[in-house]
Amino acid sequence: MKFLIEIAGASVVVIAAILVLPRFLELFALINATVYISMAVLALSLALVWGFGGILCFGQAAFFGLGGYSYAVAAINFGDTTYAIPVAIAVPALMAAALGYVMFYGRISDVYMGAITLTLTLILFNFVNSTAGDQWRIGAAPLGGFNGIPSTPPLNLPGDPGNPLPPESIFAIAAISLLLCYILAKFILRARFGRVIVAIRENERRAELLGYDARAYKLGIFVIGGAMAGLSGMLFANCVFVSPTMFSLFYSGQIIIWVMVGGLGTLVGPVIGAILLNFFTTWAGTLPDINPSLILGAILMLAVLVVPRGVLPSLTTLLGRLRGAGDAPGDAA
Amino acid sequence: MDLVFAIGFQVMSGVATLLITSLGLAIIFGMMRVINLAHGEFLMLGAYAAILSAREGLNIWISMLVVAPLVVGGIGFVVERFIIRRLYGRMIDTMLATWGLSLALIGAVTMVFGNTVAGFSAPLGSFAIGGFTASAYALFLIFAAVVLLGGTWAILRFTAFGLLARGTMQNAEMASALGVSPDRVYAATFAAGSAVSGLAGALIAPFSGVVPTMGAAFIAKSFITVITGGAAMLAGTFSASSLLGTVSTLGTFATTPVFGEVMMLAVAIVLLRLLPQGITGRFFRRAL
Amino acid sequence: MTALLATEHLTMRFGGVVAVDDVDLNVADGELRCLIGPNGAGKSTLFKCLTGQIKPSAGRILWRGRDITGLESFEIARLGVGIKTQVPSLFDGLTVLESVRLALRREARERVARARAMATLEQLGIADLAQHATALLAHGQRQLVELAMVVAPAPDLIILDEPTAGMSAEETARAAHVIRALNASHAIIVVEHDMPFIRAIAKKVTVLHQGRVLMEDDVASVLADRRVQDVYLGKAADASLKVIA
Ligand SMILES: Nc1ncnc2c1ncn2[C@@H]1O[C@H](COP(=O)(O)OP(=O)(O)OP(=O)(O)O)[C@@H](O)[C@H]1O
Ligand SMILES: [Mg+2]
Repeated sequence: MKFLIEIAGASVVVIAAILVLPRFLELFALINATVYISMAVLALSLALVWGFGGILCFGQAAFFGLGGYSYAVAAINFGDTTYAIPVAIAVPALMAAALGYVMFYGRISDVYMGAITLTLTLILFNFVNSTAGDQWRIGAAPLGGFNGIPSTPPLNLPGDPGNPLPPESIFAIAAISLLLCYILAKFILRARFGRVIVAIRENERRAELLGYDARAYKLGIFVIGGAMAGLSGMLFANCVFVSPTMFSLFYSGQIIIWVMVGGLGTLVGPVIGAILLNFFTTWAGTLPDINPSLILGAILMLAVLVVPRGVLPSLTTLLGRLRGAGDAPGDAA
Repeated sequence: MDLVFAIGFQVMSGVATLLITSLGLAIIFGMMRVINLAHGEFLMLGAYAAILSAREGLNIWISMLVVAPLVVGGIGFVVERFIIRRLYGRMIDTMLATWGLSLALIGAVTMVFGNTVAGFSAPLGSFAIGGFTASAYALFLIFAAVVLLGGTWAILRFTAFGLLARGTMQNAEMASALGVSPDRVYAATFAAGSAVSGLAGALIAPFSGVVPTMGAAFIAKSFITVITGGAAMLAGTFSASSLLGTVSTLGTFATTPVFGEVMMLAVAIVLLRLLPQGITGRFFRRAL
Repeated sequence: MTALLATEHLTMRFGGVVAVDDVDLNVADGELRCLIGPNGAGKSTLFKCLTGQIKPSAGRILWRGRDITGLESFEIARLGVGIKTQVPSLFDGLTVLESVRLALRREARERVARARAMATLEQLGIADLAQHATALLAHGQRQLVELAMVVAPAPDLIILDEPTAGMSAEETARAAHVIRALNASHAIIVVEHDMPFIRAIAKKVTVLHQGRVLMEDDVASVLADRRVQDVYLGKAADASLKVIA
């Protein structure tokens, strides 16, 4: 029952946003809102992988960047964005499968996992940065080095490349993607697969002694997370264009911050965290002399030191207590 | 022949750079099981400390070898006091908090000094062997790596502080039962590790250039070197940086720097697959 | 008849230490076997080899005659082996019922699985804990919850590592009772230290010493054996052993 109410609630919010926001927002703000939504999808991917799977991935930005670049390269080569979308999801998913296979089947510990995912992201960053010049092209698409691919095409009507979609439609597509990812995550967690994932997070050895192959389950959730991050990269590429910063440590750190602030082990928390923090950093970016990196870093430090449960869950608990409303919805997903 | 020399020298200076830039992280990880993800920014702060004091007219060697480690050691002391100490035993949280610190430091330094590359040229000219010339400063870096490694070893092996530190590392409860305050040992260790990072940052600055974001280029390599090395921090860092430094330098030679890094990561992953506890989890277990 | 679980020349070395040295063990269907030995005899190491947590350096492990050496823990569990670790190992974020339901891995029908989980909890007398979070339970209750997870899928063999560690005399007596009752339907291997407990439950005892099997016989002969007295409790403890025996 609660499950259905939550899904219905999320659907209402998203549909309302699609109907209302484009009427009130100027073009620039609407594109920004689309960016925020793509970030929310990215936050959701790490919420699954880290918050529920217990897998500390420092390199979620790698899948995000791969998704964006795969989309751009495929769309330029196909001359049509329709089939670029599955490519943008499949390439990061495959990358996650390969990396996850090495990490989980090698049974390496959290710290090693952090080291490997971080290094991989940095290598991709360096690699893409070094692809300036005409010899670096995939088919018709120049990779463009540190400039990225400014000619990243926006989505078009399926099968109709002459008809690029207006920003309102792209906003709607992004919002619906977010909703679908949320519903997918809800179903995953409700299904047996999700319960086993949570059990493995709680006690991997016990799960194995009960006959569950923890490696396979972790690989599964990691690949789902990679695919979702790829989708998010595709949405992002539609609002801006792809460039190496998508792979940067700054992005990897940000994703972790959204999930940390939103609360580990919840889905809505990181989504809200991503949107609010993006608002906040965009606003802070307009202030003179304040560097967004400083603010984000300070938020992360404070989140870890003061409210390790997550800012949003702690706030809800606090509000609940102030209202004297009995049980705090600390585990609201 | 000259080519062999040239490559051999490049490899050695690659290894030395990796060793120097990893040692501070290794000391902190080896003694305290803390991964300091702001390590790259500690290097950056060391580089800035050196370059700024040199600009103020201080002797370049004093700026690099004295000022940089002192400044960053002091910063490390403060960081330990306000962040690390609150999170002992929570390895993941420590990594996250120091990542936050890393972002904050990049932001703060950018605000103060701007996002431009500063730099100073290698202070030592060049030398020639046969038909091949090399930077004398690279030779100095190799020398510095040897001295740093040997010095750390000697401190741990022969001094009273080294004994305390090793004792605390082995068994903190026992050490505190003997009247040693683990808090103090940890504080001193973190400050010392930070000082080494600061020194390293100053040492590599002539080659790398000085920008607020320069740490990013080093953190991943240092991290993977320390992890590949395993529990014994000095033997581990030495063996891992020798191996990975050689691989990445040769890879760079054969192709491009990026490919050198890819090869280094690939080797590290294979190695971790074979030796999940790192090199010193299997070999040199009794080493420091 | 092939044994349910057997080892052949099983050996585990850690560097220079030979923790398990050429051990041949045969456990039959329905048997209750105790594995005892002084500190450092290699009991826990043998337990870890049998449960797939470490890979032996040499030798084989056979399950109904099939070589299972080097299988992963989850593969061994899937053969029908229930494993209880020394320190209770639970899912702290889940409720008791959810935990036991997860143990019924092969039951896909949610309703059936929940009913079976409840039945197991009732059997062990902890049905009232079903909706409790495992994290909040007392030590004795945690032991029982883990036991429920182990027996719920009706394994052919249950392996228990020091099940009475940290228990009071009374709790130990109750554990002995539970284990004898379980033995009616499952083969059991118990790694133990506690002598009164061994006497209470054991039929056949295997004594490990310095990694080797010192002797294997029924409980009375083992406890009366001179060599066992020497290695197991040391000469000084002779008197107390006689009292127990
Ligand atoms: N991972 C390991 N590395 C090195 N040596 C080990 C390891 N595990 C066990 N040993 C050694 O193997 C021997 C047997 O240890 P084990 O823990 O199996 O004994 P035990 O019979 O369970 O003892 P206890 O009754 O004290 O639990 C001991 O000498 C121990 O030091
Ligand atoms: Mg033992």
